[in-house]
Amino acid sequence: MSANPPIRRAAVLGAGVMGAQIAAHLVNAGIDTLLYELPAKEGNPNGLVNEAIKRLGKLKPAPLGYRDVGKILQACNYQGDLEQLAGCDLVIEAIAERMDWKKDLYGKVVPHLKDDVILASNTSGLSITSLADVLPEAMRSQFLGVHFFNPARYMYLVELIPHAGTDGAVMDRLESLLTTTVGKGVVRAKDTPNFIGNRIGVFSMLSTMYHTGQSGLGFDVVDALTGPAIGRPKSATYRTSDVVGLDTMIHVLSTMKDTLDDDPWHSYFTVPAWLQKLVDQGALGQKTGVGIYRKKGRTIEVLDLDQQDYRASAAELDPEVQALLKERDPAKKLAGLRAHSHPQAQFLWSVFRDLFHYCAYFLGDIADSAREIDQAIRWGYGWKQGPFEIWQAAGWQQVAEWINEDIAAGKTMSDAALPAWVTDGRDGVHSPEGSYSASRETVAARSDLAVYQRQLQPELLVGEQRNAGTTIFEDDAVRLWTLDNDVAILSFRSKMNALSVGVIQGLLKAVDIAERDYRGLVIWQEREPFCVGADLAGAGAALQAGDADSVRGMLADFQKAVMALKYASVPTIAAVRGMALGGGCELAMHCSHVVAAHESYMGLVEVGVGLLPAGGGLKEMALRAQQWTHAGDAFALLQKFYQNIAMGKVAGSAHEAREMGYLRPTDTIIMNSHETLHVAIEQAKAMSEIGYRPPLRNQRFSMPGEIGVATLDMMLVNMHEGHFISDHDREIGHRIATVISGGGIDRGIEVGEDWLLKLEQEHFMALAVQPKTQERIAHMLKTGKPLRN
Amino acid sequence: MQEAYIVSAVRTPVAKAHKGHFRNTRPDDLLAHVLRHSLSATPGLDAARVEDVIIGCAMPEAEQGMNVARIGVLLAGMPDNVPGVTVNRFCSSGLQTIASAADRIRLGEAEVMIAGGTESMTMVPMMGHKIAMNPDVFSNDENVAIAYGMGITAEKVSQRWGISREDQDQFAFDSHRKALAAIDGSGFPEIVPYTVQSHVPDLQSGAVRVVEHVVDTDEGPRRGTTAEALAKLRPVFQADGTVTAGNSSQMSDGAAALMVVSEKVVKELNLEPLAVFRGFSVAGVEPEVMGIGPIAAIPKVLKQSGISKDQLDWIELNEAFAAQALAVIKDVDLDPSKVNPKGGAIALGHPLGATGAVLSAKMIHAMRAEGGKYGMVTMCIGTGMGAAGVFEIL
Repeated sequence: MSANPPIRRAAVLGAGVMGAQIAAHLVNAGIDTLLYELPAKEGNPNGLVNEAIKRLGKLKPAPLGYRDVGKILQACNYQGDLEQLAGCDLVIEAIAERMDWKKDLYGKVVPHLKDDVILASNTSGLSITSLADVLPEAMRSQFLGVHFFNPARYMYLVELIPHAGTDGAVMDRLESLLTTTVGKGVVRAKDTPNFIGNRIGVFSMLSTMYHTGQSGLGFDVVDALTGPAIGRPKSATYRTSDVVGLDTMIHVLSTMKDTLDDDPWHSYFTVPAWLQKLVDQGALGQKTGVGIYRKKGRTIEVLDLDQQDYRASAAELDPEVQALLKERDPAKKLAGLRAHSHPQAQFLWSVFRDLFHYCAYFLGDIADSAREIDQAIRWGYGWKQGPFEIWQAAGWQQVAEWINEDIAAGKTMSDAALPAWVTDGRDGVHSPEGSYSASRETVAARSDLAVYQRQLQPELLVGEQRNAGTTIFEDDAVRLWTLDNDVAILSFRSKMNALSVGVIQGLLKAVDIAERDYRGLVIWQEREPFCVGADLAGAGAALQAGDADSVRGMLADFQKAVMALKYASVPTIAAVRGMALGGGCELAMHCSHVVAAHESYMGLVEVGVGLLPAGGGLKEMALRAQQWTHAGDAFALLQKFYQNIAMGKVAGSAHEAREMGYLRPTDTIIMNSHETLHVAIEQAKAMSEIGYRPPLRNQRFSMPGEIGVATLDMMLVNMHEGHFISDHDREIGHRIATVISGGGIDRGIEVGEDWLLKLEQEHFMALAVQPKTQERIAHMLKTGKPLRN
Repeated sequence: MQEAYIVSAVRTPVAKAHKGHFRNTRPDDLLAHVLRHSLSATPGLDAARVEDVIIGCAMPEAEQGMNVARIGVLLAGMPDNVPGVTVNRFCSSGLQTIASAADRIRLGEAEVMIAGGTESMTMVPMMGHKIAMNPDVFSNDENVAIAYGMGITAEKVSQRWGISREDQDQFAFDSHRKALAAIDGSGFPEIVPYTVQSHVPDLQSGAVRVVEHVVDTDEGPRRGTTAEALAKLRPVFQADGTVTAGNSSQMSDGAAALMVVSEKVVKELNLEPLAVFRGFSVAGVEPEVMGIGPIAAIPKVLKQSGISKDQLDWIELNEAFAAQALAVIKDVDLDPSKVNPKGGAIALGHPLGATGAVLSAKMIHAMRAEGGKYGMVTMCIGTGMGAAGVFEIL
C-alpha cells in the first residue's frame, strides 16, 4: 500500500439523518459518493434512498452546497449495487446503533471492499473495539470510528477514534482528507463511551440541570446565564435540549448510565422526573412544538417547576451578576462569581467548577491531551473557549485551589480527588509548546501532519501563540502585514470588518504599497465575517446630520479603492470566509481572484437599507453578464443577476455564490476556512509567477439601455401592483435597473466602467438623501433586520 | 354571400406544459398531426384543393416560429401548392383563424380552407424567450397596464366586479368536476390520439431506445381536487389577492384544426357538414381588466349574427381565470348551466393560440351529440380585448 493513495470515491452506508447528510457533504467537497440504503420492498429498489436524497433538498439549514448535489449523489441499495463498493476508497457506515445490525451489514459488504479501503463507522454510542471484533482479521487495521456532528455540513468537529489495531497510516490518511478536502476540524479521541465531545458536552448539560435544581433557578434564567453571556451559543442549555429532542436527551443519559459504571459521577446519570414527565406527555421539544419551552401566540413560555405549568419566559438577571459577566478579565470574573452570594452567581461558579473537575479527572482516560477536549467542545458545541481554556484564563492554580476547597467542603458533585498533575505547580494545560497529555505525562505538540501546514493562522487555544508575521503598516482601521515578505496581507480592525473611512483609506494605501514592494496583496480577516459592507453607523449619522457630501466623498473613495484593486499591477486576492455582504461582496468581486471557503455567504444586499450597490457592484454584474454570455443573450443573464440584487438575496454557500455570479467560474472554492490565507498567498504567488497583468482599463461594454430598464421595470410594476413590494422598493428597484442597464441610452451602445460608476453614484445618492432610506438604515442599526417601508 | 361549412374538427389531447405528455413534442409536429387528420376526416377531398391553411399561435417563435402554419403543412405531407399563414391575436388566435377562413369562403374567394391553432407553452414561454418592453409603457401612466401580468389583471377584475375568492374556488372546482364527468362519460370525440415517441439512451447497450406511448386524454383535470384544497392555495399574483394557481387556467400544449368548405364542396363530395359559421366579433377594453373582454365582444357578435342571447344553447367561455369568467357571466347575464358544460381551461388547460380552435372543435362535437342549435365560443385576450364566434350546429 502506498503511503497516501488518492481517495476518489466514497460510499456511505445508511441514508438516515446522519448518513445522508455526511454523503451530501462529501459531494459538496467534490468527492464522488454513493449512498446506500436497504432496497425498497416494492417498486424501484432505490425507493428508500431516493426518498432520503429528496428530503435533503428540503432540510434547513441546507445540507446541499448547491442544488445539483442531490443529483450527483449516487443512490444505491444493498441488493443490486454491492459490486460498486469495489471502486470506493472510503466507506463510512452510518446505520442505526445496533451491534447485530452492524455486524450483519459488515458481513455483507466486506467481501466487496477493495484491499486498501478505509472502513469507518459513524457511531456515537458503540465501542470501536467491539465493532472491530466483528470484522474479519484482515480488515481490522483499516477500520476506525469517525464521528460527525449534526448537521454534518455545518458542524466543524469530526472525531476520529482508532481501536488498538488501527493502522496509524490509515488515521493520517483519513485525517488529512477530512481536514483539507472535507474541511473539518479533526479531533482524535480514545475509544471510551461518548468519545470526547459528547462525554464532556453532555456532562456539562447534566451538571447544569443538577445545579438548576439545587439553585431553584428557572430554566429561562439558566439559559440567559449559560448562553452568549459565558461564550456559548444562544440556545444555551434548555433550548438546545428542545432542539436536540427531549427523548434523545433521555436516550443519551441512559447510555451514560449503562456504559459508565465506574464514573464517580455515575449517580447523577439519571433522568430528572420532570424531564421524564414531559416526554411521557409527548412534549419532545422542537419536533412536537412543546418541550421545556413552548410558543403561545407570540409569547414564548417556559416550564416552571414550582408552578408545575408554563409561564411567560422572562429571564431576569441580577444586575450585579450581569456586571460580573461583563467583566473582561476572566480571573476577576470567575473570582467575582464565586464570591458573590446571589444564587445566579453561585450557580455559575458551581457549573464551571464541576465541569473543570470532571474534565481534569477524565483527561487521561478519554483524550491524548487537553487540546482535544477544548477543540471538541469549541467545534462540537459552539463554545468560544473549551473548559480547560476557561480555567487556564481564570488562573489555573487559584481555580484548582478553589475546586479542592469545595471538594473538601462537600460542595462538589463528586468527592473524587483532582488528579495530581493539576496541582503540580503548572499555570495551565496549553502553552506555545503544546497541550498537556495526562496519559503520557508530557506536553503534546500540535499534529505535524502536512495538512496543518496549510493552516497558517490556525484557531488558537488560550495559552498558544500566533505567528503574527511582520507588520508593514498599521493604524486603528487596518493592519498590513506579511508572513513571507513576498505577499502583503491586509486585515481590517473594524467591527464586523465593516468598511469605515479608515478601512477604505487603508485599502488604497495597501494597494499602493503592494504594487511597490510585494508580489501580491491578500485581503484576509483574522475572524469571520469577511466584511459586512459599509459602516452604516457612520454613514447613517452623516445622512441624519444632512451631511450628504461626506457620504458622497466616502463612496467616491470606495469606488477608487475597488478600482485600484481591480487594476493593481500585482494580483489582489480576497480570502473570503463567512459573510461578504454589500460593499464586502463588491470588494471581493473587484479582486483579481477570490479564494472562498465553502461556508461563505455573499450577496449584494443594499436594498435592505434602502440603497443600491454603488461600490462597483452593479457595474461588475453588468460587465459579467456581458462577458460571460459571449454571443448569447446577455440580457437574460443580467435579468437573473438583477433579481438577486433587487431581492437582496444572499448565497447560501460559495457554490451558490458562483451560480449567482458573485464568484467567477475561475475563482477558487476550498472546504476548510482555516486554509483560505494559505491558498490565497499561494494563488497570489502563482499568478505573479506566470506574469500577471491586470485587465485592460479601456474596454467598452454594450448595454441594454432604456429597453433593458423598461423590461426590468415590467417585473417591478407587477410586484408593486401585486402588493409584494412597497413604493420605495419600486423606486430602488427602478434605480438598480437603470444603473445595471447603463441608463437611459439606446440599446447596444458601448460604455466604459466610468460611465457605470457615475450612474451608481448618482442613484445611490438620490436614495441616500431620502427619509425612507434613512429609516431603513436606522432600523437595521437598531434591530439588525431590514425594514420594508 | 355563401355559407361556410365546418366539415371536420379535430384536436390533440391537451397536455400539461413542462411536465406533461408533450414536454418533448414539438408544436409543429402537433400541428402536422391535426392537419393530417382534418384531411382524413374529409374523405374524397384532394388536399391540393386547400386554398390556404390559417393557424393561430400566440407566441410564434422558436419551435413554433418561422411561420409554423406553412411548416405544419409541409410536415403533414400536404402538396407544395398549399400555402399557410400564421395568425396571432393571443388567446383568440385559434378562433380568429376560423373566422378568417370562413370569410374567404363566404366571399367566394375560396372553396376549401383549414383553420386551427398550435401552441407549446412548454417550449415557448408566455411573452416569448426575449422580452423587450417599450420604455414609453412606463413613461406614460395610461400605458403601464400593458406591462401587467395576466394575473394582476385578473385581480383587478375580481376587485371591480366583486368576485370573491370562494366563488372563484367553487368555479374552479366545478370546472374539474365537469371535465372529469365528461372524460368518464361522453368523452371528447374530437380528440385524435397522438403517439409520442421518446428517444432515450439505453445505458446498458449504448443504443438509443425508442419508447412510444399513446396520448388520448386531456391531462389537466385533477381527480380528488376538493374545495378545501383549493381554498388553501396562496394567491400568486397579489400578496393580499384572491387569484391562485388553482383558480387560474393551466399552461398547456396542444393543437386543433377545422376544415371549412363551401356548400358546393359539401355537395360535390357528399360531405356531412357539422356546423355553419355564423359570425365573429372582437372588441377592445382597458388593458388592466383584459379579462372582461367578452363583455364587449358578445353583444357585438349577437347583434351582427342576429341571434339573441337566449337562443344560445351552449357557451364555451375560455376560463383564463375564474375571476374573469365569473365577471363575464355576471355582467352579460349568461346562464351558468350553458357555460362550459364539459369543463373549461381551469381543468382542461389553455394552449394559448390553439385554444379558440380547441374550444370550437370541442363544442361542435358536444352539441351534435347532446343537441342544441346555436353555440358560442368566447374568450378574453391579453392587453385588453375580447372575441366571440357563433356557430350553428347542423
